[in-house]
Amino acid sequence: MTLHRSSFKKVWGAPIALAALTCIGLLSALLGAETWHWVSWLCLAIPLVTGLGYWLRPRKKA
Amino acid sequence: MTAAASLKTWYWWHKWTSLVCTVFLLIICITGLPLVFHEEIDHWLEEGKPYAVVDEGTPRAPVDRLMASARTQYPDEVVEFVFFDEDHPTVYVGMSPSHTGDPKLTHYMRFDAHTGEMLHDAPTAREEQFTFMGMMFALHVDLFTGLPGQLFLGFMGLLFVIAIVSGVVLYGPFMKKLDFGTVRKERSRRLKWLDLHNLLGIVLLGWMTVVGVTGVINELSRPLFGLWQATDLVELTSSYHGAEPPQRLASADAALRAAARAVPYHRVISFSHPGNMFATPHHYMVWTRGDTPFTSHLIVPVLVDAATAEVTAVARPPWYLAMLALSQPLHFGDYGGLPLKILWVLLDLLTIVVLASGLYLWWARRKATDARVAQLTQRQRQPQAALAKATHAREGSGSGAIAGGGP
Repeated sequence: MTLHRSSFKKVWGAPIALAALTCIGLLSALLGAETWHWVSWLCLAIPLVTGLGYWLRPRKKA
Repeated sequence: MTAAASLKTWYWWHKWTSLVCTVFLLIICITGLPLVFHEEIDHWLEEGKPYAVVDEGTPRAPVDRLMASARTQYPDEVVEFVFFDEDHPTVYVGMSPSHTGDPKLTHYMRFDAHTGEMLHDAPTAREEQFTFMGMMFALHVDLFTGLPGQLFLGFMGLLFVIAIVSGVVLYGPFMKKLDFGTVRKERSRRLKWLDLHNLLGIVLLGWMTVVGVTGVINELSRPLFGLWQATDLVELTSSYHGAEPPQRLASADAALRAAARAVPYHRVISFSHPGNMFATPHHYMVWTRGDTPFTSHLIVPVLVDAATAEVTAVARPPWYLAMLALSQPLHFGDYGGLPLKILWVLLDLLTIVVLASGLYLWWARRKATDARVAQLTQRQRQPQAALAKATHAREGSGSGAIAGGGP
């Protein structure tokens, strides 16, 4: 399969970014306290909100 | 292997690993919801008397006294463990009929850490597993069967991880012509749920993988701990090999003080009594943990000679026990306050949507295929030829057919 850089980015850009945020979120609360807990909550909330947002956003007009 | 053939192979793996594990994963996800809040729920459902509110600086009752009090309650039984609650001034003393008997006969008594009064005398672990939280735990961890159930659910977790990996491989071709987050709501119900399955699956990828892998590791806790007991622990206690267990035991309080001196900056969580399956016949096994956010998750056991209350060894855990220790918070989500627990529950709920939509897609496609076959059989005089033609046409449309729900 030959993938152009742009099409790779188009398909995988968002998933990789979300997975990276998840990892930062999971690790920050493990390695730190206080501020790091906030970082963790924010980073883990982003994938969640992304999923719900695309799911529940109003139907696009054709 | 051509791209299409390898895609078919990945699809086969995705379909079958998912189909086998989904029912168990659904049970695990649903029972996991209350388990995320088990500390809060346990405390809320807690039976027995409340602990005394005392002035700051009030000394704690000696552990030896609590153990003596427990032995008075059950003179024919042995002490298995003592656990110090970090959030409340209470101490749990676990007992059972014998060190070598069924671990499910173990039960605990809760004591007031200051007054030494017994607050609650709990039923055995076997009875506890039929309380609401006990059932949630058993369904989540071992299906009421102990080690065999743990290994079985561990294997289901492994299938879940394979389903995630194969799902990610399929995500690429599915999304080639679609924007991220596309949910085609206006066409068919199946297409809408296919898009949602892909969307939620990919946004949850990191979380589902971490919780899945750490879940599998947790199910292997007994074999991993057994490995440590059979190797490192045997080496650490080699000088005791063949010796008779001590007739008279040293004070548990003295053993705890010795352990605390051996590992400064650590807190004692609990200890396993000499003879218990997690200790040795010659040692108090004192479980401690560090005092930074990270090291607080790493458990360091200290072996204290049961006769002399002198430290035999500080057993720095090998990599696989450190991995097991870190797998617990990363699976339970109990390491970042209440907001993290709420996020855990929401992520778990969306995982249930991914699992259920996957099941629905398989079912809907099966029904659609059956209907199509029936239709063709009825219409055509030569159903075989028609089927071959239909199959050919479908394969000819390439990834478009997969994007529409697979071949």
